[in-house]
Amino acid sequence: MNAVLRLRRFATTYSRSLVAYAIVAILWIVASLLIGGFGAYAHLRYIVELAAVIGLVGIGQTIAVIGGGIDLSVSAIITVTAIILPLVTFDVDATGLGAIGLALLVAAGIGAVNGLGIGYLGLPPLIMTLAMATILQGLLILIAGGSAISVTNPSLDWLGSTHVLTISVSIILWLVAAAVCLFWLHGTRSGSLIFAIGANPVVSRLSGVPIRRLTAATYVVSGLCAGLAGLLLLSMNGQGYVGIGDPYLLFSIAAVVLGGTSILGGQGSYLGTIAGAVLLVTMTALITVVNASEGWRSVILGCLILAMLPLSGRDQSR
Amino acid sequence: MGVQQAVLGARSVSKAFFGNPVLREVSIELVAGRIHALLGENGAGKSTLINLLSGTLRPDSGDILVDGHPIASLTPQEAHALGIAVVQQELSLAPHLSIAENIGLGAYPRRGGIVDYGRLAAAVAEIAKELELIEPLDMAVGRLPLGRRQIVEIAKALYIKPRVLILDEPTSSLSAPDVAILMKLVRRLRDRGVAILYISHRLNEILDFCETVTVLKDGSVTADRPLAGLGPNGLVRLMVGRDPRNLFPPYASRSTGALVLETKGFRAAGAIDVDFELCRGEILGIGGLVGHGQEDFMMGLYGAIRAEAEEFRVFADGVAARSAPFATVAEANAAGIAYVPADRRKEGLLLPHSIDFNLLLPLFASRSLERRRGVEETAITERLAQRLNIRGDRRRPAQALSGGNQQKVALSKWLALEPSVLLLNDPTRGVDVETKREIYLALRAMAAEGKAVVLLSSDTPELVHLCDRVMVFNKGRVAATLPHVEASEEAIVAAAMGVRNAPTLEGEPV
Amino acid sequence: MLGQGARLYWAIQWRRNEGLGALFLVLVVFAVIYAGLFPGILAVGAMAKFVQGWFPTAMVAAAETIVMLTGGIDLSVGPMVSLGSVVAASTMQGPLGILGGVLALLALGTGVGAIVGAFVAIGRYPAIIVTLALSFVLRGVALLIMPRPGGFVPPSLSEFLAGSHPTAAFLLVLLIILWKLYQATPLGIGLIAVGDNAEGAYRSGVSVTTVRMSAYILSANLQAFTGLYVAAQTGSGDPLIGEPLTLAAIAAAVLGGVGFLGGQGAMRGALAGSLLMSILINVMFFMGLPLVAQYVVQGLIIVATVSLPLIRTSLRRAS
Repeated sequence: MNAVLRLRRFATTYSRSLVAYAIVAILWIVASLLIGGFGAYAHLRYIVELAAVIGLVGIGQTIAVIGGGIDLSVSAIITVTAIILPLVTFDVDATGLGAIGLALLVAAGIGAVNGLGIGYLGLPPLIMTLAMATILQGLLILIAGGSAISVTNPSLDWLGSTHVLTISVSIILWLVAAAVCLFWLHGTRSGSLIFAIGANPVVSRLSGVPIRRLTAATYVVSGLCAGLAGLLLLSMNGQGYVGIGDPYLLFSIAAVVLGGTSILGGQGSYLGTIAGAVLLVTMTALITVVNASEGWRSVILGCLILAMLPLSGRDQSR
Repeated sequence: MGVQQAVLGARSVSKAFFGNPVLREVSIELVAGRIHALLGENGAGKSTLINLLSGTLRPDSGDILVDGHPIASLTPQEAHALGIAVVQQELSLAPHLSIAENIGLGAYPRRGGIVDYGRLAAAVAEIAKELELIEPLDMAVGRLPLGRRQIVEIAKALYIKPRVLILDEPTSSLSAPDVAILMKLVRRLRDRGVAILYISHRLNEILDFCETVTVLKDGSVTADRPLAGLGPNGLVRLMVGRDPRNLFPPYASRSTGALVLETKGFRAAGAIDVDFELCRGEILGIGGLVGHGQEDFMMGLYGAIRAEAEEFRVFADGVAARSAPFATVAEANAAGIAYVPADRRKEGLLLPHSIDFNLLLPLFASRSLERRRGVEETAITERLAQRLNIRGDRRRPAQALSGGNQQKVALSKWLALEPSVLLLNDPTRGVDVETKREIYLALRAMAAEGKAVVLLSSDTPELVHLCDRVMVFNKGRVAATLPHVEASEEAIVAAAMGVRNAPTLEGEPV
Repeated sequence: MLGQGARLYWAIQWRRNEGLGALFLVLVVFAVIYAGLFPGILAVGAMAKFVQGWFPTAMVAAAETIVMLTGGIDLSVGPMVSLGSVVAASTMQGPLGILGGVLALLALGTGVGAIVGAFVAIGRYPAIIVTLALSFVLRGVALLIMPRPGGFVPPSLSEFLAGSHPTAAFLLVLLIILWKLYQATPLGIGLIAVGDNAEGAYRSGVSVTTVRMSAYILSANLQAFTGLYVAAQTGSGDPLIGEPLTLAAIAAAVLGGVGFLGGQGAMRGALAGSLLMSILINVMFFMGLPLVAQYVVQGLIIVATVSLPLIRTSLRRAS
């Protein structure tokens, strides 16, 4: 098949994602021209660094949504990770990797509980993850109260401050994770099965798809990715506190929807979520520049999602 | 005798879905006081025509005429107001509402904005008496079995005191006594001057009390004439357009006698105490009225619902391998069992996904720990498409295909796994004649290869002409197992109704 | 004929209690335990205070139920209540006073409800994402109008609604009466028909779009007026005060047997669920548990209520 036809096929399949990239490109170009310093390499790199947090959470959220579900517990898991890591970093653990490993294990473990409830007990994802988020919120307040916990973890510091060939390690982390995610979703059979489950779970079950296993795995991955995002966030902040992860629930869903993935499941791509994450941070940066308040940001975010709905898919039945 | 004015009619209506034409310039006239039959294969367009006549859908071109006048854009509300009532196979009832509230849905008597329960109760009570609906009217419809729900659906149609009554396969889930009540009612309505459109596959019913017949074939009207002078064979010839015997490949048993599946005392949901043997190369038919356990039996065999059995054996290379029914579909697949569901749109295919992806789905599901390889996959789907003659661009979404082609995909996808047993649930429902032939030939070919086919069908001629044996279910149990020579339409229907040793009915078997 | 109609109506009403027996029983048991632990609650004044605390949860549970019965869901309940309180506290200073505030809330509820209804009923977009996006918008608007708690609520109104009068109890009774009336109209019955079988309802001549639109408009109005009540309780508007109510509404509805797919459940179940939750929270509070424990409990309640029937069916299948 010749290259032009291939390109056209690619464009139609990923047309929704491409819209998000187009909007980002336009915003960046216009802002660079109008606002001094916006287009500087360091500034754009900073935007991408911030987007990496959303992007990482977005990996799990994208997979969950494509599979027909949703994960409302990601913000709680981010906060859990950000609070637990300082608490389990001991001097005996020289590199700090042990603590990181433990924190990620906890995050994945929470995801596993979600996965068991949704995949094996058949609980609706909305309910399970919402309930999990609530329980975790309550527990977190009991554990940490209102105080912020500082962290001193060598590996984490390295993550937050090092640059390789002028690219931040955090961005590299995101790129690696994104590559793994894209390879799994589009290059493996089990990844394709996630699309099938999201499109029609009954057909999938009758066709022999191991739905329970794959669904549980989806939420473990989501928990793990939220944990990674929490680590990144902590490395940028230096301290963990209750509520640190709160904005990222809505951000992750927004990134998925803005990227063109249908909230109903069965189709979409993480490629779009990447653009969605960058778009969200870009918009936040622009709003900060014009000194708009938290209220405006919330309104614009909501309206943006509503505006993207026609691209995201409708309920076909009556 | 003057020309009677048609109460409801269609004039040259056409309708297409996703580019597939379903109705082509169809015209039909329903006259008051006449029972008009609508015949046609599944997939010929009958349901679509009904939807057009009742306002649920609008034609792409042509007119719907009420009392001779074209109505632009008929909606269900307007149709009700004009006295058009439909009873369709897919029920329109709300399980959580009471019987009375369901019957009056959309047409409640009101007093100052609030529903007048007094008038509702009186009107519903009258209809309930006519239909011998004995259940308490405050009972939630969801608690009724399917057959009773169908009666409520009919009651609902009668509630608006229709001038036109359209019945789509109304007897498919009814018990024999309920069928008799319905027949009496329909005749009474006819005598009162109601125009009736009656769709049924039961040729005896049609010959019994319909006066005119319109035949739809592949979306066009091929006959529109009085029924006088037509016998069952003539009727089938009108429907199929050829001698029915040419539809099926010549019968030849390929059964090898080597067991592939065997179970005793099998139980699953509505199926009770079933003994079952299946040999390689055999085509085993399963018949019975809807909801008598045969579907549960098949799903239980497949591991899709819980099942128990006193004995259960799967044979691979002549050696018995298992001792309990499959707990999951994946286990059944691994043992070489495949299942093609009756509802291909909701259970058989991923409609928005490509034909290629649908064809590869069972393969991916059973061997999921591998990478995607475009070249290899294209070769596989190419091979599968050739086996059952699936033509055209396979990157199109499955929903762009016609019913017959969709069924071919739903069947072909399993062949990638080379199953030893194929469980087919009504595989030719809604499929055009040419595709039916292709599917029948494919089944024969599979049997010749040594595969075993279990064919559950509501189309009795299929069971008669294709199968080596026919198991007929009645009330959850196997009422009769008929070898090919004894499997006539009458014998199968009799066993399904629970009648033993029924005398042969008049007329030759189709 | 009146007798026949009444008989049918009350028979149907009685049937709708099916499946709620266990909930009612648990509710009575906990009420008795509560009264046993804290006999002071039985005094008129304390009882009135309890009902005042229960009232917002009951209202949002009702609002959520109306939407869930049609097969939808509303994730913007909390921000809507907050916005209601902000609007109430900002509009009662004007020349129209309390009436102005009421009209403003009516406009808010109807406007927002119509917008959601347009997206869900006409546009057929999934309610979950529409209401999630809406929650951002409403939160933002509330913050823009009133970045910090403030505004003005006439003390007479506060006293009337949340003072020493049993107004809350009367309002609840009024809510139930109005709901029974609505449920006896074709639109009200239509809620369940559409939630159960939207295609079937359409074929029966029910205007599915109108039924859904009315559901969202009614629900939004209930939420807006809950905001008024909360403002009267606290004496000011607060852009974030309603946040916990989204989860509380869903928890109460789920506890009351309202299903996610639509059609299943009854208002009485949701109200009973909200009452049970209120009692539980009060018991925990009096036992000295920190306020946040209620979140943990709410989460556990939701999971337990939804999973219990699922566990029961799989156990039954295994035997």
